[in-house]
Amino acid sequence: MTARIDEFLIGVKPQREWGWLVITYLFLGGAGAGLFLISLYIDHGWAGALGLVVVISGTGLLLLDLGRPERFWRAFYRPQSSWISRGCFFITLLVALGALQVALGVFEIELSPGIATAVKLVSAAAAVLVMIYTGFVLSPSAAIPFWNSTFFPIIFFAYSLLAGIDILILTSPLLPGPALDLGALEGWQAYLALGCLIFVLSHLSVMSGSATAARESIRLLTRGRWATLFIGGVIGLGLVVPLLLGWPFAGRSDMQTIFVMTAVLAILRLFGDYLFRFLVIRAGMYDPLL
Amino acid sequence: MTRYGMVLDLNMCIGCNACTIACKAEHASPSGVFFAKVLEKEVGKFPAARRVFLPVLCNHCEQPACKEVCPTGATSKREDGVVVIDYDLCIGCRSCIEACPYGSRTFYDGNGAYYPGYTTLFETAKQNIPEGVVMKCNFCVGRVDQGLDPACVQTCPTECRVFGDLDDPQSEVSQLVAAKKARPLLPEKGLNPSVFYIGG
Repeated sequence: MTARIDEFLIGVKPQREWGWLVITYLFLGGAGAGLFLISLYIDHGWAGALGLVVVISGTGLLLLDLGRPERFWRAFYRPQSSWISRGCFFITLLVALGALQVALGVFEIELSPGIATAVKLVSAAAAVLVMIYTGFVLSPSAAIPFWNSTFFPIIFFAYSLLAGIDILILTSPLLPGPALDLGALEGWQAYLALGCLIFVLSHLSVMSGSATAARESIRLLTRGRWATLFIGGVIGLGLVVPLLLGWPFAGRSDMQTIFVMTAVLAILRLFGDYLFRFLVIRAGMYDPLL
Repeated sequence: MTRYGMVLDLNMCIGCNACTIACKAEHASPSGVFFAKVLEKEVGKFPAARRVFLPVLCNHCEQPACKEVCPTGATSKREDGVVVIDYDLCIGCRSCIEACPYGSRTFYDGNGAYYPGYTTLFETAKQNIPEGVVMKCNFCVGRVDQGLDPACVQTCPTECRVFGDLDDPQSEVSQLVAAKKARPLLPEKGLNPSVFYIGG
């Protein structure tokens, strides 16, 4: 624990508390919930199980990031005000009902239609909440103006769904169960990537007219230290290149024959998603005190 | 109701850091951790360059963002307005650090010994901050509950700090705030800090 020299200087300061464990959780938690949600839509129990495993893995990393992980259960104490606390409930609900939903599908257990529908709907709602709540953890921030944006829940939803489908595409040859229509999935990805691009650029546009620290975050991402990663990685490789290369293949029924192509696009998009979450956290800056 | 607060006159601060040291002596905060510190900045150009000082501490906000985001209730506000942390409840998620626009909080990772591998008698006797939690200024509540001023106020050689009840119109802090148009840091954040500054 050493004080850094800029701790004693008046000016814009970067946040340094949340690092790669939190960033990886943001990625895995969102991607896993997205995968679970899409598995409900395509009725693929094994994909749902994989989604839950991804969510649980991410949550494990989040626990490792705590200063006192053995007290994690205390994080359930304040759902009335804390989005982290609410997130704990959402994750628990998703894992519990999601596991039940997966078990029903995989083991072909019959429940009354009403209960089965309720389990499916509530677990879908929990998945959506897990995808977006991290946006609400960031967006009310009074301290870090770059995070103080209503776009984050929407962006995180779109990116989570994008990443969930990408994991589904990549693991499709290994997953038991019915074959997946990769052409249709690639079609959805084109729209989701376009949505992510529009939302991210809109967020940057709004933030460029915001507080000093937000403008500094924008500068870092577009012209400063993180510009290569953001413009080249998040926007270029993560969104624009997959859009341009993937669009012609969207909806094709022979996608299984060019699996390598769609797998490469999925890897690029996943890379862009992780990088986006990394840069959102690392580019967070505090306003100067004077 | 009592609402403790502080007024700092920047025209009187000489940047001596006596407050920083008094705070360290009072709380035995770990090496590299400062509940109170003096920020500085060089302004102007030669030959008119000068240094400005900004003593900072927890602002004990009336609507503390740190308390809102805390998932465990470890951060709470006492009836006298002092925002405190219960180390036994803190899980070290650091969301409060991300929420505080004043940079008043520090996560203690356990590497806080002044002499690595050796703990001084002072540290053994006074340091009671467990590893893995977040810590900050508590307005020296132990002293305040005994009717004393916080250590930084008592120590300041220029008397640039005044501590008291902001809800009492007769108190020195209230009168300073009213008469000298004292202002808080970052009022646009809407947190209603209890620490005010004059001049600067």
